[in-house]
Amino acid sequence: MFSFFYNSNIFIWIEKLLNFINSIFFVLLVAALSFALIFSPPDYLQGDSVRIMYVHVPAAWIGLASFTSIAILSILNFIFKIKNLILITKSIAPIGFMFTCLAIITGAIWGQPTWGTYWAWDARITSMVVLAIFYFIFIMIHKLISEGEKANRISSFVAIIGLINIPIIKFSVNWWSTLHQPASIKISGESSIHSSMLMPLLLMFFVMILYCALIFLMKYKTEIIRIKKKNLNRL
Amino acid sequence: MIQNLIFMNGYGVFVWSSFVITFIVCAVVYFKTLKTLKKYEKEFAKEIEDLSIEKRKRVLENSKIASQVLSSFNKSI
Repeated sequence: MFSFFYNSNIFIWIEKLLNFINSIFFVLLVAALSFALIFSPPDYLQGDSVRIMYVHVPAAWIGLASFTSIAILSILNFIFKIKNLILITKSIAPIGFMFTCLAIITGAIWGQPTWGTYWAWDARITSMVVLAIFYFIFIMIHKLISEGEKANRISSFVAIIGLINIPIIKFSVNWWSTLHQPASIKISGESSIHSSMLMPLLLMFFVMILYCALIFLMKYKTEIIRIKKKNLNRL
Repeated sequence: MIQNLIFMNGYGVFVWSSFVITFIVCAVVYFKTLKTLKKYEKEFAKEIEDLSIEKRKRVLENSKIASQVLSSFNKSI
């Protein structure tokens, strides 16, 4: 059963998954954009500016989820010392960083028509900036420290420390008085967003998840080839 | 309708800039990642091809990844 987790088997599955995602991605992207920009209704208070939500919210969710995954995988790596976990965290980090930055930028653009300012040192926004800094440090450690084992140890430590910031981001809107609105979508409990907006939002989120999977699989494949290339003489 | 879609009652500049920035960043990252992958695949395939016949045969027998990279590289030329 564990033979599935060998790099050679993973490599074959990556190829199949990449082909599958590539075949459905464009159609889903067009559908999601049509709903987000045309078919979904404007908000009764915010008007059409609410459409920014369809890129801002999924980007923020992915930024948070990616860092949480990196931190959990780093903890597992500390315990079980599985090399593949480091490859996975290294492949996820740039995607998470990109989406965190996109969430901050699109949030700032949304801030202007909604709050009258692009930027405020609000608890939610500031904690998102802190998250982007953690991502940046994590990526730079792997770029600057050439000794693999040392880089893995330090980056794992940074990821675990950064995990403290995740609940701060999540609950910042409840703990402090902030410009940012509280969560409209709740996993437990009733969401305060209408289904005509929730459906396009979930569709857009799904498309972005597919995009993340594409980038992740390509990066993971690159890492496997890089390792094989380095060890070619030992094959 | 087209005018509505472009101007969005005065919010068009904010909405479109958010979508365009996201789209451009995603596209740049996609093509950069793809380019890096292709570069590594090409270098790896070239290194395998440069091996002696006997060593190459051994490498291709021992590594599914090496044989797959080499075959997909040969298909792409």
